[in-house]
Amino acid sequence: MVDINFYYLEDATLSNLNRIFNSADIPFIRLSKFLNEAPDKIEPKLSSEEKIGYYNRKIGNALLDDFWKSSDFNDFLCKATGLKPKFRKSNHFSYYPGDYSLLHMDASETSRLLVVYDLTKEWRQEWGGYDLYTSPDKDPLVCNRDFGSLMIVKLDSGDLSCTRYVSLKSQFSTYMDCITYDLE
Amino acid sequence: MRKSEKISIVKEFPYPHVIVKDFLDASTLDIVIDALAGLEYDFKESDLFSYWASVELTNIDHPAINILRDDLGDELWRKKVAEAFSSKPLSSIDMAAYVYGLGDFLLPHDDQVEERIIAYSLHLTPEISEEMGGSLQMFDIDDNNNSKLVDSVIPEYNSLIMFEVSKHSWHQVGEILQDIQRLTVTGWYHG
Repeated sequence: MVDINFYYLEDATLSNLNRIFNSADIPFIRLSKFLNEAPDKIEPKLSSEEKIGYYNRKIGNALLDDFWKSSDFNDFLCKATGLKPKFRKSNHFSYYPGDYSLLHMDASETSRLLVVYDLTKEWRQEWGGYDLYTSPDKDPLVCNRDFGSLMIVKLDSGDLSCTRYVSLKSQFSTYMDCITYDLE
Repeated sequence: MRKSEKISIVKEFPYPHVIVKDFLDASTLDIVIDALAGLEYDFKESDLFSYWASVELTNIDHPAINILRDDLGDELWRKKVAEAFSSKPLSSIDMAAYVYGLGDFLLPHDDQVEERIIAYSLHLTPEISEEMGGSLQMFDIDDNNNSKLVDSVIPEYNSLIMFEVSKHSWHQVGEILQDIQRLTVTGWYHG
């Protein structure tokens, strides 16, 4: 059973999250320890996914697929962002040493809400593997790996996202559920 | 001055490319490397790459850089390059110097920009070996855009690699894995 950390469900917290999200240059919030219990044993079934010049990574079903589709989580998203997101897709992505994705992979995207739940247990910043979001005329947004954190980002048409190249010196790999919601 | 005036037969797989070893003579190498060491380099970073780049060297007026530009791009050499690749006549070159340090890389791309006919890279790092990283890695692409890394060229000191720019010319520079400075002068022959 997956439960949202009760702190994030309190009215005062939700009000604050909504304010912070909508005041950011690129609308964004990062919520550490988002679930009461983060999945401990991560053994997703993954396959390689490569499109040269776009991405080279591992992909599988989202570990918490049902939760990302649930009304509980959708209610939370509505309150935290003030938006009306509609579930589109969820995947689990893993970036092994040498893997990457590039910003222009979602160049044809329209307005959307991206949710990333980070399941990367051990990480060093110098290994790369961070998430990068760009929007024209705005400072780029960099999100480092942090186990158990949920990141919510609103991107418009023309905004781009990627996961930075993972160094061959990395001793571990990144793991994350990535969910896309359409916005009306 | 060029030490090597001959371009061997261009290899066609995975796309037309050729390596000219011992490209410059020793005295030219010395003054060129001294000149390149005296340039300022800016750190450049994006989702695609991480490296240090010099200012554009195409029009800079510097005695050693002028010699290097002639060696890479005078009329005689451009004619030989065009003949080797059976390309249309090459009218000009551009050039810049790049330094890749520990952790730097350049991810797969095809170099395609209008008027770029032949890409080149003159490697200027002594005693570089495969385990140090920084190899020029070439991909074979099929009609469905499936890719396979098929060749890895160690950037040997004083070797000049040239390849034809096309929708097939996917390549990358492997991550630098040791504390070295991989120095190259890189650019394109234009039509």
